[in-house]
Amino acid sequence: MILLKLISWPYVRQHLPRWLLTIAGIVLGVAVFVGIHTANQSVVYAFHQTVDRIAGSTELQISAGETGFDENVLDRVQAVPEVRVAVPVIEAVVGTGVQGQGNLLILGVDMTGDRSLRDYDLESNGQGGDEGIDDPLVFLAQPDSLMVTDTYARENHLAIGAKVPMSTMDGRKLFTVRGVMKSGGLTSAFGGNLAVMDVYAAQKVFGRGRKFDRIDLAVKDGASIAAVRTKLEALLGPGFQVQEPSARAQQFDTIARVYTLTANVTSVFALFIGMFIIYNTFQIAVTQRRAEIGILRALGATRGQIRTLFLGESVVAGLFGSVLGLLAGIAIARGMTGYIGSLLGEIYGIAQKADEISTNPMLMTFAVVLGVITSVVAALIPAQSAARVDPVQALQKGKYQQLSAGENRARRIAALVVAIAAASCLLLERFRIFFYVGDALAVLAALLLTPTFALWLARALRPLLRWMRPVEGTLAADSLLQAPRRTSGAVAALMLSLALVVALGGLTRASYDSIFGWLKVALNPDLFVSPSQSLTQRDFRFPESMGAQLRAIPGVGDIQMVRDARVLIQGQPTMFVAADITELRKHATLPPVAGDEKEMFRLTAQGKAVLASDNFATLRGFKLGDVVDIPSPSGVLHLPIAGIVTDYSDEQGSLLVDRSLYKRYWNDTTVNIFRIYLARGAAEAEVKRRILEQFGNQRRLFVLTNRDVRRYILRLTDQWFGITYVQIAVAVLVAILGIVNTLTVSITDRRRELGVLQAVGGLRNQIRGTIWLEALAVGTVGVILGLALGALQLYYSLHISAEDMAGLRLSYEYPYPIALMLLPGILAVAFLSAIAPAETAVRGSLVEALEYE
Amino acid sequence: MLELANVGKVFQGKRKVTALENVDLSIGRGEMVSIVGPSGSGKSTLLNLIGGLDTATSGEIEIDGRRLSGLSDDELTRLRRDKIGFIFQFFNLLPTLSCFENVAIPLHLRGWPKKKIEERASELLTLVGLAARREHLPDELSGGERQRCAIARALSVYPPVLLADEPTGNLDTHTGAEILALIRDLHERLGSTVLIVTHDIHVAESCARLVALRDGRIEEDRAGRRAAIIHDPAETH
Repeated sequence: MILLKLISWPYVRQHLPRWLLTIAGIVLGVAVFVGIHTANQSVVYAFHQTVDRIAGSTELQISAGETGFDENVLDRVQAVPEVRVAVPVIEAVVGTGVQGQGNLLILGVDMTGDRSLRDYDLESNGQGGDEGIDDPLVFLAQPDSLMVTDTYARENHLAIGAKVPMSTMDGRKLFTVRGVMKSGGLTSAFGGNLAVMDVYAAQKVFGRGRKFDRIDLAVKDGASIAAVRTKLEALLGPGFQVQEPSARAQQFDTIARVYTLTANVTSVFALFIGMFIIYNTFQIAVTQRRAEIGILRALGATRGQIRTLFLGESVVAGLFGSVLGLLAGIAIARGMTGYIGSLLGEIYGIAQKADEISTNPMLMTFAVVLGVITSVVAALIPAQSAARVDPVQALQKGKYQQLSAGENRARRIAALVVAIAAASCLLLERFRIFFYVGDALAVLAALLLTPTFALWLARALRPLLRWMRPVEGTLAADSLLQAPRRTSGAVAALMLSLALVVALGGLTRASYDSIFGWLKVALNPDLFVSPSQSLTQRDFRFPESMGAQLRAIPGVGDIQMVRDARVLIQGQPTMFVAADITELRKHATLPPVAGDEKEMFRLTAQGKAVLASDNFATLRGFKLGDVVDIPSPSGVLHLPIAGIVTDYSDEQGSLLVDRSLYKRYWNDTTVNIFRIYLARGAAEAEVKRRILEQFGNQRRLFVLTNRDVRRYILRLTDQWFGITYVQIAVAVLVAILGIVNTLTVSITDRRRELGVLQAVGGLRNQIRGTIWLEALAVGTVGVILGLALGALQLYYSLHISAEDMAGLRLSYEYPYPIALMLLPGILAVAFLSAIAPAETAVRGSLVEALEYE
Repeated sequence: MLELANVGKVFQGKRKVTALENVDLSIGRGEMVSIVGPSGSGKSTLLNLIGGLDTATSGEIEIDGRRLSGLSDDELTRLRRDKIGFIFQFFNLLPTLSCFENVAIPLHLRGWPKKKIEERASELLTLVGLAARREHLPDELSGGERQRCAIARALSVYPPVLLADEPTGNLDTHTGAEILALIRDLHERLGSTVLIVTHDIHVAESCARLVALRDGRIEEDRAGRRAAIIHDPAETH
């Protein structure tokens, strides 16, 4: 501690900018880590909270995926003696149309029984209390009744009796506020944007027919929840899920798994990169402070004490950086939470409202600990180098101790061994763990080889730099050659960042290419008629009869009716798409990845088989011909996979069945989307106008053109890959930080050299030129190594994406446009990063520089 | 050649330190002058001011009729590279460059053509007796050879003024004497004005003129090889 105060503190004070640059690595890492995790967690937490608060005292919930089930199921459940209360629920999210208010969660309940599960504490209306609601029959008797939360009422100036317009499946209707719920558990669900209406009214509003989404129940005192659950499962069959309310929230976690995984990779990556910057600075500090270390050693400090001194500094730096990072991370989370919330809502069709961030003390503590550990790990090798400093050599003025003698050879041998191990892992890639280990080993081999490659590249660049500027260029190249340690950390950080950019860029490009291909062959109707602007939202449904009405509209050619919903298959939510296969085949082509095209359509159209998306087959381990057990409210269907096709309907994979089969087993004739092909010669705009004219006033309905849908899907894809841009931003930041760090150290290290240059006639611009060229050289070396490692990482990323994340087999295409942009981009960044250090170099005192030691 | 009128230098830090005060000095073309004095007397500061490495707080300095005050950094650099050659105690050679490249650096900075640089650097290395060491790195040279290389670099454009700060301070007596002889020889052959800052009384006395500083003021200004300068024995090497 005393050494930290006497030795480290004065050094930090003297080199404050550099020390701040060191901790910037940790700040950046921890900030991105905390920011992304907190934002993600806040969204998940908001969903959990909504589920939890809506559940009230519900002990079990019965559902059949998203498909809903017939009303008679309620009678069967209520007849179970151990069930104290069982109530039907319909849940939907609607756009309020009120500026700034976003979505409103509508809970359709049966007020006669629901109050024993949920607490509706109502405010007095000042005109005789809440007697309107006190008698649930009154509420029920008026299907336009609505109860809103006090927050919502306040924000929208709604009093009892106020009329609220809402678009329903029967057109736009006015609802009357007949109750305002006081603040409490239920009212804080969905950020307070909650309204309650009668469940039978909700059936009409949302086009549910005579179906419920869910049954919420509580068991009688003394009955075991587990036993009731087992009994209900046996009673209802495998098509129903009987779960505790928390299981619903867990399904959200499953669905958003890929997103969470990607976000986690980004956040950990930021911290990993930050480590190299810390390593770099500590390594330099050891080189620069060798005289000081020599004196301490001469005065009796043991190697252990020197090691501890540097590790102690890294703990302080880690702690300081982590706390700053924590604060920055919370600020990032504040900015990102809303964005991620709406992104997940759109992509997965699961509504939640996350306006506030949830700071988890465990996560915060973990981030600080992780920041400190990262800092200490990064400082381990430099601290070891410091402990090895020879006091005799260190005290000789002007004599630089070569700490790295012999290290390069050992490192090259280690890299070769690691690279062989990485290649061997590829042979065992069917065991997934080996594939991941192989990837990590490949990165490790690249890191071990970075100093050697950087040295070779700097040597190769020397003639070019010398040709460009004989003095400045030579000195810049020599600076890199002379002190590879000074640059290796920054080059490694740059290499890793750019490799990730290339890998993600390649992945993104391949995904876009594949999505474009799919859009072309599968998503080719001229118009889409949907009950919501977002194709992923499935809360509203059309009646099947609307199909005939649409067909009668002049200009409409063929119509395909599609009903999609998530159902649980093997316990995991899976997108189930029901469409008229014969109709579908007339226009859309779905080239099979596996299976015979003619045969697969024939069998599926007959209801004898399913078509599986490529990602479903990969992620769930199904092959052509395998039988999938699909639980439905009418029993389990055992259908073989007749064909595997490329389909991007859902990230978790999808199953396509014939609509007739779905109608039979789910007893559901509703439709989510009508896919319309125009008759020959019909004008798109004209037909769209006619549809809106006919249905606009009767139904909630949106007519989207093929262009709209493509734009929508590409926008979703863009948003999805938005996280890629965060990584690119982190990469650029790392590049800036690393290069500024290296140059700051470089000009301090070469202060005398630069002073001599000025003393013997070097003009300021010539000195600046040296620094700029050095920065450009570091950037060039980093870009070359990053592009090379990126080629390898792209291979791993495509495999990971195919096998473990999205299940999509994408072709390997090196993202040359990104690579071509990176070189000038990073060089520009390198140049900008060099401006401040170069100015410091030319503006310092010449006399001090010449005396510097 | 060198005119100093009422020159002063004050360092402003936590405490104000007056390094030079009212220094008047005139040095003619081709003179060889030693500047001596105890540690902290201001001799290095004086050399830095004359060399344009630092700027005076007060007074005027003229080199070859050109006033230094008011010159921009680049103008000072141009003056330095055309008129002044520096020789340092610790040689200050660039460690990654060969002996030849170190000598060639100032010529590159002046933008000379490659052929001309090759001729001049070779000529200078021959002049200081290092022709055989041209491709050696500074690390591969002895102390004396490094200083010879540094002298060759200082002479790159045969500047009219040579400033040497303790040129023998980091060398043993024998090598120091050799370097001094070389400087004197070059002075005689090239006719440069030479200013040597030194602690070594023998070096000081070997110059035609000796200027002694104490507490930032000129204490004595006389011809060389005469009276011994009283100096702090602890400061001698």
